[in-house]
Amino acid sequence: MSPFDKAWSPYAAGILIGLLQIPAFLIIETALGASSSYVTVGAGIASLVDPSLLNIDYVARHVAANAKNLWQVALVAGIGLGALVSMKMSGAVRAPVSPIWSRALGSSSSGLRYAVAFVAGFLMLFGARIADGCTSGHGLSGMAQLSVGSTVAVAAMFAGGIATALLLLRRI
Amino acid sequence: MSSVAVGIVSGVLMGVVFGFALEKSRVFEPGMIVGQMQLRNWIMLKIFLSAVATGAVVLAVLNGFGMTKLQPKAALYAADIVGGLILGSGIALAGACPGTTLAQIGAGYRDAIFTLLGGLAGAVAFSYAQPWLAASLIGTGPKLIFTDLAGIPYWQGALALAVAIVGMLVLMERLRPWREDLGADVDGNRAEQMAQPGRRLAPAE
Repeated sequence: MSPFDKAWSPYAAGILIGLLQIPAFLIIETALGASSSYVTVGAGIASLVDPSLLNIDYVARHVAANAKNLWQVALVAGIGLGALVSMKMSGAVRAPVSPIWSRALGSSSSGLRYAVAFVAGFLMLFGARIADGCTSGHGLSGMAQLSVGSTVAVAAMFAGGIATALLLLRRI
Repeated sequence: MSSVAVGIVSGVLMGVVFGFALEKSRVFEPGMIVGQMQLRNWIMLKIFLSAVATGAVVLAVLNGFGMTKLQPKAALYAADIVGGLILGSGIALAGACPGTTLAQIGAGYRDAIFTLLGGLAGAVAFSYAQPWLAASLIGTGPKLIFTDLAGIPYWQGALALAVAIVGMLVLMERLRPWREDLGADVDGNRAEQMAQPGRRLAPAE
């Protein structure tokens, strides 16, 4: 399990991710999560164009420059940085688009892939915000806390994911 | 340091560890996510369950000794089901979840930039619709956890969950060793591996 390895065991990586709950609960008094940062950033930018958006209480709560909101934005940005560092240390090189997509989508057009990715991102965050959490907030944190609602959300997430991957995508 | 500065600094540090672990585990690869959702690759579930079990043990200790309060989300069944289905569908098409999208960008996947932009647009669209959705679909609910329903302390249920998960993982690993799911370029793409037996059958020169 050296930092120069290309792949670690999923168990080692999972344990390391689970241990991040310690600083999250002790320093920020919150659980790991990722999707509300999209509201902080997205609605923060949109409110520059349309300040009336801030009249919605939900938006005002998410764009407030407090420790919890900015912690999550920093966390998500840090994920990008950490992945970049890990990648450079192992010397892995990625193509601009994963080779699985030409099979999954039945087309090697990168324009099609970009369009699908945009729609996918939209669905992901629209759904995550309705459910009030994503794979991190409901999945990692909610399940660990034995939350009833999070368990329902995670079951729905896998049901939606499996149905879409089997019905809309081709076999990879 | 102000609490906001503490939040930002600890967020970046924790994010770097998170991103590092996501990259090393390969779960940020679209091939791993799509493969999991097509039920032919099990690395995502193994990482997910390991992290849940670890979190449960950590929280059993922290909460059991009174060092922290739990922060469960409210149980909003209609919203959890509808939102979860839409989110899951997005995860399959993105080959990522909201957090791993950033890991994909860090690792150099260009399509993930579009996933991120779509995600920001989705969050803005939800923001506009939130007052209406809150009244019509989301509603309010109690912060329910299973051990409260069973009438036992949280730490007992959390440790029981961790034990059950470890049992499941041992079984899963016995049925399907994780290295078999990595793929030749550790991206969950097993097309070449699957083609190899055919190649071996080709007549030698």
